[in-house]
This record gives sequence, structure tokens and C-alpha cells, in this order.
Amino acid sequence: METFHSTINNQLNTGVLILDLDLNIVFWNRFLEVHANQRASEVVGRSVFEVFKELPRRWFERKVTGVVQLNTPSFCSWEQRHHLFELPHTRPITTDSHFMAQNCTFLPLAPDGVIQHICILVEDATDVCHYQSMLQKTLADLEQANRIDGLTQVYNRKHWEECLSKEFDRARRYQHDLSLIMFDLDHFKKLNDIHGHLCGDMVLIEVAKTIRPLLRSCDFFGRYGGEEFAIILPETNITGAADVAERIRQAIRLNVMEYQGVEISASVSVGVGEFEPRTRRYEDLIGNADAALYEAKSGGRNRTCLFKDSVVCL
Amino acid sequence: MTAFNLNEDQQDCLQELINVAMGQASDQLARYLDTFVHLRVPSIEQVSTTSLSNSLNKEQQSVAVVSQGFLGYEGIRGEALLVYQHKDSDCIGNILGYEPDELSVEEQLIDLSSILTTTFLNVFALQIDNQMSYNAPRLLSSGQDALAVYLQQLSFNCDMALKVKITYQVTDYSFNCDMILLIPESAITNIKAVIDRILADY
Repeated sequence: METFHSTINNQLNTGVLILDLDLNIVFWNRFLEVHANQRASEVVGRSVFEVFKELPRRWFERKVTGVVQLNTPSFCSWEQRHHLFELPHTRPITTDSHFMAQNCTFLPLAPDGVIQHICILVEDATDVCHYQSMLQKTLADLEQANRIDGLTQVYNRKHWEECLSKEFDRARRYQHDLSLIMFDLDHFKKLNDIHGHLCGDMVLIEVAKTIRPLLRSCDFFGRYGGEEFAIILPETNITGAADVAERIRQAIRLNVMEYQGVEISASVSVGVGEFEPRTRRYEDLIGNADAALYEAKSGGRNRTCLFKDSVVCL
Repeated sequence: MTAFNLNEDQQDCLQELINVAMGQASDQLARYLDTFVHLRVPSIEQVSTTSLSNSLNKEQQSVAVVSQGFLGYEGIRGEALLVYQHKDSDCIGNILGYEPDELSVEEQLIDLSSILTTTFLNVFALQIDNQMSYNAPRLLSSGQDALAVYLQQLSFNCDMALKVKITYQVTDYSFNCDMILLIPESAITNIKAVIDRILADY
């Protein structure tokens, strides 16, 4: 039996560390010998804190006290504490973590009913940890992709509308200012017809890029559809929003782009709406800004119109 | 009434075993944590897993749920859920005797859960001449409505469960949490066999 035990102990892919109650090392198996690169003979009799200087001493002592006093096992997972012992792992090339992620189990050893030793099992959780973090990253990427318009990298219609709904509720509840800018590229169909759809795509990308720096980080910039964009401006009244709208219109007008050696210039028609206490639904706010945008279009394009009771053009 | 229902004697016997275990666990915990720990008289009920979702859902809005599986001889096994409320999660580090920067809130929750679960179940196991092994505790979810979210994701693989709910109170820290032991249908029969043996010896 004794030989079975020692054979298994040495083949085990788990670290087995036994300490006495003064936290001196009594035993460690081959797993720890090779991972810590120290023979059992070199460490037996030494304090665990001397061999593993990185151990959080106070925490470790309190943990062991619990195990001894309550005669219960205690656990320490990589999810909360990446590792306890600074050990290398077997995937140093294909993972980015420096030390082995560990699940540690503290067990009271009381063969005669009196606890004299503590056994600490150290399991390598590097793989799990690695795949878990890859999964987290993928989920975060997916969530991001779900919100973003692939072409222009601004918010897509769905996410933008969710943001509007939230901002609208907030503005209604606390009676805060909230404005909406909607704008549309002028003669976009003609541009596509003359220069092709790839040129149209380039213009959409350029327009989004030009406008981004004109906005605050708290504004929500989205592609409403086709060549129509929309911006939510929290804490902004219609006067402030009109300023932003004019800056956008001028910036697009002045930005000369180039497509296959040909200079391309564009313009936008802009409609601005403002939240008013009587506005019941966020859709009404969109409707108002859209009505102003329609006036800007029919009034000759490349202009900004505001919806205040009725539409006023700048 | 299904075949799994405990009769009155069995129910009383289980209640008594749990009461004794609670007393001893409370004593051990008080000595370790250096503060009084009260365990409130448990509720024992058999629930269908569908109604379990509802009955657990009625628990106040919880912020964290920690689960730990346990396994003993004679087919005694189950899962312990430790359910914490928001206001109670701040002082756990103090109760455990750790410095604030020594461990994260998640680790405190898991550590305390493990201590409460294993201390109680160890003494309970002694009562029935058994010995428990435990899985590593896992934080199932944290955040608002943690329990509700967890229950939504839960797929039960049995129809009935025995549910034992014990409330822990640490009055010095005005701390409360609930321990909910869930024993699956297949293990209820085993528990009943153990109880019947104890009743026969009586």
C-alpha cells in the first residue's frame, strides 16, 4: 500500500503540500518538486513563507487558522485569486499568464482525531483561466459588434434608439434638457450613381470621422439608416444643439475628400429637435427633428433647421 | 403526498438533528469568528423544482449567491446556496478577521460561505455517523437580482427537492444571510433511510 501511495503521489498532476501547524513544510510531492524546481529534501523543515516568499502571510495564517479551528476544508479559486504560489505552468508559450493559475484546497489532517497537519492541494487551472478570459473577451467583442455599424463605426440604429429611449426617460423624469440632431447627406444617390457605391461608402466613413471630434463623449452618435445619421445630445437645449448642428454642417462642407484622384465634396441638411415637457414619447422627438430636416432639404439643402413649435431655418 | 414526503416522525427527527447541528455549529463559529452567531430555526419543506424557483424568488432582492456541493456516504448529497443581501456584504471582511486589502469582496463571500456551509454540515454529518466531502464553492452570480438571474439559468434535473433554510445572524455586525440546503429527489430517499434507522435505534 505504501508504495502505491508514493507512486500515485508522484504521478499526480496536482501539487500536494503538507505543513505542520507552525507552517513548516513536512512533505511535497514530485509535482511541486518540478514546478518549484526544488527537491523535497531541500524544503522539508523550512517555513512555507521562506520557500514561497510571495505568500500573503497574514491572509494565509488566518486561512489556516480557520481550517484547524473549524476542522473544515477551505478553498481558494483562481477566479478570485489567480494564484497563491508563484509556479511556472506548462503552457508558457500559448498563454499570456506568467504564473500557473491555481485552485487550492486546504484540508485539515487529523488521522487520530487531533489536527497536526494541513494539506494544501494545488491544481493547475491555467487552461481554464486562459479559455475563460478568451471567452470573456469574445463576449465583450460580440456585445460591441452588436452595437456598432460595421461601415461607419458609429452606433447602429438599434443601439442608438435604445440609448435615446433611456436618455428620453431620464430627461422626462428629472426635467433635464435633451436635444436631437438628425442629418442627411445631400444628393447621396447622385454621388453613388456618378462615382459608384464604393465612393458612397467612403463618403459615409469620412463624414462619420469628421463629425466624431465635434462631439462630447456623452453624446450618442448613430447611423439612423442609409445616408441619415442622428446624434443625441444630453443636457443640451436647442440653442446649444443648433451650434453643434451648424459646426457639423460647416465641417462637412469644408472637408474635401478624394476618391480615385477625383475631389469629392459633400454637404448635409440638418434638423434639430428638443425635448419639451409635453413630449410623451421619444418617437415624437425623432419626428420633430425629422420634420426640421425635411424643411432643410426642401429649403435648398446644406442648411440647418430647428423645430421650435414650428420649424425655423437658420 | 408523494412517496418522497417525510412523515411527521421523520420530519421531527430531521428537525431535531438540524437543531443540534445548528447549536454546535453556532458555538464553533462564535469561537472562530470571536462574535456571537445565531442560527434561526430552520424551515424544512419539500418543494417541486418549479415551485422552488418561485419560493426562492420571493427572497428579498439578493446581491450574491454562492453554491457549494456536498457529498457523503449512503448517498447523502446536495447543494448549499448561501444568499446574501446588499447591505450585508460590506462587513464580511471584518467578521472574518481580514484586513480590507487582503482579499476582494467576492473572495470574502466565498470564504464565509464555505465556512458556514462546511461547519454546519460537518456537525450534521457527525449526528448521522457520516462524513462530508465538499466541492469548491462558486460565486454563481452577484449584482442586483442575483438569485432571480441564477434561477432563470437553472435547469433542474429532478422534480422534487427537500429544502432546508437556515438564517445566520451575526448581531455584533448586524449581518444576516440565508443558507438554503437543497437535497435532490434521489437523495431524499437516502436521507429517509438514515432517519428511519435513527428512529428505530431510539
